Amino acid sequence: MTRDLQPALLIGAAALAAFGVSLVNFAAQGTVDAQVGLTFGTVLFAFGGVFVAARRFAPEAVPHLLPPIAVIAGFGFIEIFRLNPYRAGLQRWWLLIGAALATVVLAWISRNGLASLRRYRNTQLLLAVGLLLLPLLPSDGPLPIRGLEVNGSRLWIEVDLYIAQLNFQPGEVAKLLFVVFLASYLADRQPALTGAHRRIGRLTLPEPRQLGPLLLVWLGSLGILISQRDLGASLLLFLVFVAMLYVATGEGGYLVGGGLLIAIGGVASWQMFDHVQRRVSAWLDPFGAFEDAGYQVAQGIFGMGTGSLSGSGPGLGRPELIPNAITDFVFAAIGEEFGFAGTVAVLGCYALAIATGFGIALRSRDRFNKLLAFGLTFVFALQTFLIIGGVLRVVPLTGIALPFMSYGGSALVGNFMLVALLLAVSHEEASR
Amino acid sequence: MNGPMRRMARLVFLGFGLLLGALTWFQVLGADGYRSDPRNVRTAINISGKERGLIVTGDGTVLARSDPDPNDPQAYLRVYPEGPTFAHVAGYTSRLVGEAGLEEAYRNELRSRRDLTISDVIAALFGRDLRPENLLVTIDAELQRAAVAALDGQRGAVVAIEPSTGAVLAYVSSPSYDPNTFLGPSAVANRQTVLDDPNEPIRDRAGTELYPPGSVFKAVVAASAVESGIAGPETTFEDPVVYELPGSTATIGNADGGPCGDGVEVTLQAALVRSCNTIFAALSVRLGATAIGETASSFGFDRTLDFPWALAESTFPASALADDPAALAQSGIGERDVRVTPLQMALVAAAIANSGEVPQPYIVSQVFDADANAREVTEPRLIGRAMSPATAVVLQQMMERVVTSGTGQAASITGVRVAGKTGTALPEPGRPDVWFIGFAPVDAPQIAIAVMLEDGGPLGESGTGGSVAAPIAGTLMERYLVRGDAG
Repeated sequence: MTRDLQPALLIGAAALAAFGVSLVNFAAQGTVDAQVGLTFGTVLFAFGGVFVAARRFAPEAVPHLLPPIAVIAGFGFIEIFRLNPYRAGLQRWWLLIGAALATVVLAWISRNGLASLRRYRNTQLLLAVGLLLLPLLPSDGPLPIRGLEVNGSRLWIEVDLYIAQLNFQPGEVAKLLFVVFLASYLADRQPALTGAHRRIGRLTLPEPRQLGPLLLVWLGSLGILISQRDLGASLLLFLVFVAMLYVATGEGGYLVGGGLLIAIGGVASWQMFDHVQRRVSAWLDPFGAFEDAGYQVAQGIFGMGTGSLSGSGPGLGRPELIPNAITDFVFAAIGEEFGFAGTVAVLGCYALAIATGFGIALRSRDRFNKLLAFGLTFVFALQTFLIIGGVLRVVPLTGIALPFMSYGGSALVGNFMLVALLLAVSHEEASR
Repeated sequence: MNGPMRRMARLVFLGFGLLLGALTWFQVLGADGYRSDPRNVRTAINISGKERGLIVTGDGTVLARSDPDPNDPQAYLRVYPEGPTFAHVAGYTSRLVGEAGLEEAYRNELRSRRDLTISDVIAALFGRDLRPENLLVTIDAELQRAAVAALDGQRGAVVAIEPSTGAVLAYVSSPSYDPNTFLGPSAVANRQTVLDDPNEPIRDRAGTELYPPGSVFKAVVAASAVESGIAGPETTFEDPVVYELPGSTATIGNADGGPCGDGVEVTLQAALVRSCNTIFAALSVRLGATAIGETASSFGFDRTLDFPWALAESTFPASALADDPAALAQSGIGERDVRVTPLQMALVAAAIANSGEVPQPYIVSQVFDADANAREVTEPRLIGRAMSPATAVVLQQMMERVVTSGTGQAASITGVRVAGKTGTALPEPGRPDVWFIGFAPVDAPQIAIAVMLEDGGPLGESGTGGSVAAPIAGTLMERYLVRGDAG
């Protein structure tokens, strides 16, 4: 793919989204309205904007990361618009805000260099932990920032801006800070972490002293699970940490140890928490618990099965029967209305974006850049796998936003920044 | 670092492979199963408003049809012109409350294929007709209406079968409901009204509810005794006033409290004609649970019968009764552990009428397309053989005597030889389930019937099979045969 194709592909993605919206329009009212043009403009402006910013601030960046993501965002937007036009209007603004922030990230890194991210490592960690703790603020406190409980989980904050209230999931940004911190921490600490180790049979185990960070993050993840009842974020943070530790050190023992800790944490939380038990039983037999915990998963499967190969067509299915169809279950809604053809296309776009991300990491020579690109790509891939896998019963359902597809401003903003960082890494490595 | 990184990337894409596999199952290989799952209301939503096939009887009575919607030229409205009379046969297809009956069982035949699913498009490319198919049912509309009238809203059921083929001639569960009220915007409220009715009209008493058969089960025990050679019609039995249950001081007596005959000895024939509990309790213990159980299962007990909807399984728990002669004695007279559907008892009568061969009951005789070409024709077949032709003749004669000179006299028809057996089960005191099973004419049976009313029908606690169910059976068989002769 040559660089020149990128504008054409982005225009194509915007046209695809606009065409989908026109079909939804037509199915609902028999006519087409201004939403079609607005959709075309939004997708083109957001991704075209990031493209132009990348040309300016990261001209050597890989050309095939933005197009698949624009297609994904377009698909998601069609389904959000079809299910909830009001929320689609908000999502439009979040797309633009996310793109603007991506531009800011690109510009800042172009001026200061990626290495500048390593200067404030401990601040980043503190900030990440602080952001993760924010939702625990009292929901009726005097501060302009309040914690909110949504669907039994505590991951939202409500920010009082005096003119309006803004709801935000700080965990979405904390994820990024955590990956940046880990990349710089692991880039420096490699010798210590790969030093002496013990052998037990064929297995190489690190010294107990080196396991300290592993246990610390494990406890932190469990803390998130207990205090915020957020299975998804808890699993995500721990898995990213273990993966980056393994990649940085090459020690398979970390994978084994991490796996054991996940097993222990999983069994313990299954025994201790009602909501984990419900998730697991709904995963094992959603149809048995159809009236109860399994309803959402079962409805998602019914929707995808009814959609079959070619889907009902946008606006013609019944994805409104699936609870949370525009957030956690947007993939099932896509499956119902766009069919196997649509879900495979979406899965292919994710695979393309993720492969591109791994490619950037593999080609990087700087340790920090390499770990950063890997961590960001892994976070992106893991979120995609965990939520689609939850919808498809490959893994238990964890409430995670599907990147660029689910409705939700915080996730969109976080993921735009993630993509901007990846572009910046690829530019810096290519132009060195 | 690239080694571990490649391994992690491979792991991620392995995960994506799993996603693709799951997706292939849910959206391609297993999709039809999920689409047609009864809890998946999408199917019902999508078929509402679409044209569906006819359900008709042989005489042209329409049980279900689709009329053009006057308010929407694209849409159709489903109509059940016979209302409650055929509710438990035709069932319904409702966007809001789901499906039942033939509408559910034959949903793929009855639906329009014009909604362009992938398989329909492929079928159309091969020249297949996309219009809905239709069902021809075996029910005799007049007999069905007469049975509904005879039950008169009381809780009960009538099932009539053509003995030589197994074609179901009447399938009535009473009281019933109007499936038309399950369509339209107030369907949920209307269905709730039906569900709240203390007489439970939603229940299918003909085929999916189990009852103790009482003395109609003696026909099964008698068939087992004659077939095994233990007894013939003239075999005599000791005739006590009461039968003492083995290993117990409890006793079984006859309906009138006295001995069956003269108090000395009595024949099997006489015991069946007078429906004597003392004799049949003793006979059951002598036969043993295994022998009775084998006969019962050859009639269709304790197995899943093939039918458009799931029938309740009639049961005679032979292995449990083998070690409990007291329970066996009580079960041998149709109480305690025996449970049956009216459909199963009609099948018992049909098998005795059909020289011992048990016909497979069926209700749809043909699936035909919009141009009236048959797509599928049901060929009559047999479930198996319950007894030899010779045993069947003996049973026919004994059961004819029940109607000519025994408890079943109320079922007699002038000029027609009728055979039958009455039953009065008492699962709880004062609430008898009253029964009659029978067939006619004896020399060339055209109809076998089972009539059952809960709580003694109009006579309440004093109702018996002979006084309540037998006259209904007689009237219905007469109407069917007389008209048959005229036609």
